[in-house]
Amino acid sequence: MNFGRLLRSAPTLWGLAGFLVVLAVWGPWIPTFVLTLLINLLLFASLAYSMNFIAGLTGYVSFGHVVFMGTGAYAWGYVVGTFGWHPLAGIVAGAAVGLVLALGIGSVALRFRGVYFAIATLVTALAARNIILVIPALGDGQGIILNLGFEPLTWFYTIWVILGIQVGLTYWVTHGRIGYGLRAIKSDEDAAKALGVDAARLKLFVFAFSGLFAGAAGALNVWTLSGVFPEPAFDLLFSLQMLAMVIIGGMGTLLGPLLGAVAVYLPHNYFLTVAVGAEFIVIGILVTFFALVVPQGIVGALRRYVPTLRGIIE
Amino acid sequence: MADASVIVAQVIFGLIRGILLGCVFALIALGLNLVWGIAKVVNIAHGELVMLGAYGAYFLNLFLGFNPLLTAPIDAALGLAAGLGFYFAILHRELRGKEAITLQSEMVTLVATFGLSLAISNLANIAFTGNFVGIPFDAGSIEIGFLQIPLAGIYVAVLSVVIISLTHVLLNRTYLGNAIRAYSQDIPAAKLMGINPTAVAAIGTGLAFAVTMAGGAFLTTLFPTGINPYMGALYAPISYVIVVLGGPGRMWGSLVGGLTLGIVIDVGQIFLGVEIAYAVAFLLLIPVLLLRPEGILR
Repeated sequence: MNFGRLLRSAPTLWGLAGFLVVLAVWGPWIPTFVLTLLINLLLFASLAYSMNFIAGLTGYVSFGHVVFMGTGAYAWGYVVGTFGWHPLAGIVAGAAVGLVLALGIGSVALRFRGVYFAIATLVTALAARNIILVIPALGDGQGIILNLGFEPLTWFYTIWVILGIQVGLTYWVTHGRIGYGLRAIKSDEDAAKALGVDAARLKLFVFAFSGLFAGAAGALNVWTLSGVFPEPAFDLLFSLQMLAMVIIGGMGTLLGPLLGAVAVYLPHNYFLTVAVGAEFIVIGILVTFFALVVPQGIVGALRRYVPTLRGIIE
Repeated sequence: MADASVIVAQVIFGLIRGILLGCVFALIALGLNLVWGIAKVVNIAHGELVMLGAYGAYFLNLFLGFNPLLTAPIDAALGLAAGLGFYFAILHRELRGKEAITLQSEMVTLVATFGLSLAISNLANIAFTGNFVGIPFDAGSIEIGFLQIPLAGIYVAVLSVVIISLTHVLLNRTYLGNAIRAYSQDIPAAKLMGINPTAVAAIGTGLAFAVTMAGGAFLTTLFPTGINPYMGALYAPISYVIVVLGGPGRMWGSLVGGLTLGIVIDVGQIFLGVEIAYAVAFLLLIPVLLLRPEGILR
């Protein structure tokens, strides 16, 4: 196998793989403080890749993605708290619940286009939060308190694995038959259907992935918080940040969600000690700017204005 | 279980409150409906406008002692200015010179206003602090048998219906209204008839913002301690549901949708509790979109 050719064929994928391998090898020696920051960064990146599956690849903007995070989190809390499952098995349960819910919501909501899809997902997330609040088995709105201890290295490798799978899947989905179908749907769904693209199935397929990973990430998020509480688990700001990351990084690209995650996470972390909520002013203005001036996001803009990068990043 | 007459009394009271609330909801949704119907822009920052309207009323009352009902025209004037500014700063970039507003443009403005909503609500949180505030305003109440209905609620409900009617007349009986409707139906044809698309879209956006901020001022009389920088996160989704229920671009639809939602929320609370009542109100959107995408009126 000619390694050089393989490297040239997918430089972005190998770059991301290299980045992940470096993180994995460095893992045990990372100072705890840096490790907690990295866990959160990878969590954000994982959420961004999850949103990228639906918003980036098909152009269907979802405002209610936190519903998968929230239900994944509650599934994790329920199996770990009530049945005493291992937290890692709980993550799988969270992913499974996210997947099933995505299939359910997707089979209805994906019939609506454009703004109607955005609004339908938004109200679904709000309604799901209100329903969870009154379910007695899930803590009656008080939440589920679990004290599982501080295990940053386990969290780190768990989110690492989730992110790794997402990057691989994004590459696989964009490079092949499915990718052509998705791009056709994104630019003109009616034309794509006329040409024989099974739009409903393809959309549901990527939406299911999206829900699965958001569920897993949501479960991991509450594991690091030692308990499931309705407000942080169903915080609509997560949905909005996921969307912001994909828009800033570049919709539907392989590298974009990671760049977007860094762009959203840095102000997030910086303003935490300065003024609560100030980060969202920066993020909000960035989103408006990108939507109006650079709709292709960072990756798209780089590809457009720096010709030498065109063959390298995607 | 409480006895039947108590429940009947509660339902009647819920119904009346729901109708009063529904009229104000309808006014707020009318603001969204106008931008949505005219310029095909779904303003995600709509809830933040309601919030700014409510804070406008609060500060005018706090510093100048204005009656919340009197603050509505001032709020509306501010909203008109904000709408014109918003159109030229944000929308004009995207809508300028377009012959028809495509799905792509809709998504661009959707995302841009979403960014604005995030920025405005958090800016307000820093500027106004996150505390819940309210306006002490008591216009007395009327009693019909066992029912006590606050007069302030009746005033704002009646004023809301009056404003909705005036908007209807403006859109259907005046030159400006015809121009606005022509723009929303077919831009090239409207231009051929000598209509300036930029002016029409800008005036429509300004009008929409004015109505929304006035609605925010009215809302303060119904919720005595409900003003908060993040209140928009509740009123924006309610407005989306109302507009979809009534059908985008139909002004009477907003009133029907608003009353439906007000009654579902206030009567539903009695039997289902607050959380589920709101969940039902939100989820009403899904069957309507599936079965009657043009709205329940027809």
